Amino acid sequence: MFVYISKRLLWVIPTLLAVLFLLFSLTYLLPGDPADIILGPRATEEMAQDLRERLGLDRPWYEGYIDYIRSILRGDLGVSIFRNRPVFNVVMEVLPYTLALTFAGMGLAVFNGIIIGLLAASYQDSWLDSLLTFISFLTASTPTYIASVLIIVVFSVNLNLLPSIGLGEGGLLNSLYYLIGPAVALSIGWTGYIARLTRSSMLETLESDFIQTEKSFGLPSYYIIYKYALKKAVKPIIAVVGLGIGRLLGGAVFVEVIFTRPGLGRLIVNSIYERDLPLVRGGVLVAALLFVLANLLADISYAYFDPRIKQE
Amino acid sequence: MFNSQRFFRLKKKFMRIINIMKKDYRTYLGGSIILIIFLSAAFAPWIAPHNPYSTDVVNRLQGPSLNNPLGTDSVGRDILSRLIFAARPAVYVAFGGLSISIFFGLLLGLTAAYLGGIIDRLIILFFDFVRAFPPLILILVLLAIIGPSLISVIIILGITIMPRYGRVIRAETLSEKEEDYVESARSLGAGKVRIVYKHILPNIFASVLVLGGMDMASMIMWEAGLSFLGLGLQPPLSSWGVMLQESYQYIQTAPLMIVWPSLAIMLTMLGFSLFAESLRVALNPKAGQEGQK
Repeated sequence: MFVYISKRLLWVIPTLLAVLFLLFSLTYLLPGDPADIILGPRATEEMAQDLRERLGLDRPWYEGYIDYIRSILRGDLGVSIFRNRPVFNVVMEVLPYTLALTFAGMGLAVFNGIIIGLLAASYQDSWLDSLLTFISFLTASTPTYIASVLIIVVFSVNLNLLPSIGLGEGGLLNSLYYLIGPAVALSIGWTGYIARLTRSSMLETLESDFIQTEKSFGLPSYYIIYKYALKKAVKPIIAVVGLGIGRLLGGAVFVEVIFTRPGLGRLIVNSIYERDLPLVRGGVLVAALLFVLANLLADISYAYFDPRIKQE
Repeated sequence: MFNSQRFFRLKKKFMRIINIMKKDYRTYLGGSIILIIFLSAAFAPWIAPHNPYSTDVVNRLQGPSLNNPLGTDSVGRDILSRLIFAARPAVYVAFGGLSISIFFGLLLGLTAAYLGGIIDRLIILFFDFVRAFPPLILILVLLAIIGPSLISVIIILGITIMPRYGRVIRAETLSEKEEDYVESARSLGAGKVRIVYKHILPNIFASVLVLGGMDMASMIMWEAGLSFLGLGLQPPLSSWGVMLQESYQYIQTAPLMIVWPSLAIMLTMLGFSLFAESLRVALNPKAGQEGQK
């Protein structure tokens, strides 16, 4: 187990170096002279020269790359061109909103998914089971942006129950109120996925010998389900949570754009529109870092629950 | 002799899959949704009641009526006709992206499995590199480099999803390579290309098929999502994502307008997932005895 985790941790380093390399080469890959694109046609030659120096375009690429990695290690992500502020600060300002959204979405997905899956498994092969299975199928195949749009149409525009824009001002309660729509939209896809996983894992557990033994003692079935089977059946679900957080970080981009919430995803999309190169690089780097961490967490939790890897 | 035996074995396997799928309602529901999309894409000019590009500013943002069954959009174009024509880019993206994924997946996966050593390592490193990015972010960055268009969306989606195929094909080739029948074919003097073509490809076909069904759906989903963000297909082209983007501005005043493309995307996703699920169940060797589980 320890060897596996250390191997997995070491693997993060080349991955991040590769990510950094792609981000660095963006300067050269983007069509046209970045200085011209960023400054527009009315810029003077001096301004362009100044910007080229700031972006490190006047030096050979390998020097630039090493410098880039050095400054990243110092925590310096450069300065945003249009906001004229350090990229690090701009990113850190919006990061908490994205994390809150992602964790709220994951929490909802786990909670609702387990309940739906348990209900389906307890009434196996009844009409309720078929209905719930179909619902989990439908939600699992609904893209996040469709869920967001439909939630706005139904709950904001038609029923006027939920706000459709922004974070909400003042007070924790108000912020939570503004988080409901976005978090539910983000959770929809994984709710279905987790519900299906819970159902099949629960059915498998209920067939296992130790549950059959409990049954033969004459214990009531709800007691067996909640007291014994659940503990074993949730293990594969815990193992996919890490994976899910990585996925939901991607989905958060759409939720943030559609609900007009500040966040890392919307920041990256806007910086791509604006061609604010340092901000694109910084935002993508932080997103990739979070993604790599979430995947690491997923692999480690898999290993923890899979005795074959655990023994290694 | 050898060949005809293998042919019958494959045929038997195939018939078994068809028989299991025939009993599953998901095959029919999913299959008919997919069929409707393909038919709309193929016969769009004949099915659509209006020209999807002809504007009529006087009758803009109208609700459903006899003339425009789903109403009109912000410049008076018929929404139903645009929905039908939008099946075309969806199908292009699904097939185009998938072909690129499978082609390069096969190329890299087979090369890695056959050559081994340092080349195998490098190819795996490349797969891991692509997978290290959050998929959406990688796609956005690549689109920013190439610029948004139908072709670039197809290429980028194909490349982003490719490592999944590459890994599966590499793993299955490695295990098939050791099987007795491949050994015996090799000892009879069959060349590498012939072994891959005759023996390995038919056996990895099943796994690629299930992955492919799901990925066609996810490519359509990505295309619409990217176009929605303004980084995929560009207006005035009709695509479900472009329609979402155009109607998003009117979500407060004409909310019904955004519901139609949303439903189209949702149904498409549902159709592909239902079909892929029934295929997955049928391909599972344990299926048939246990029913749908």
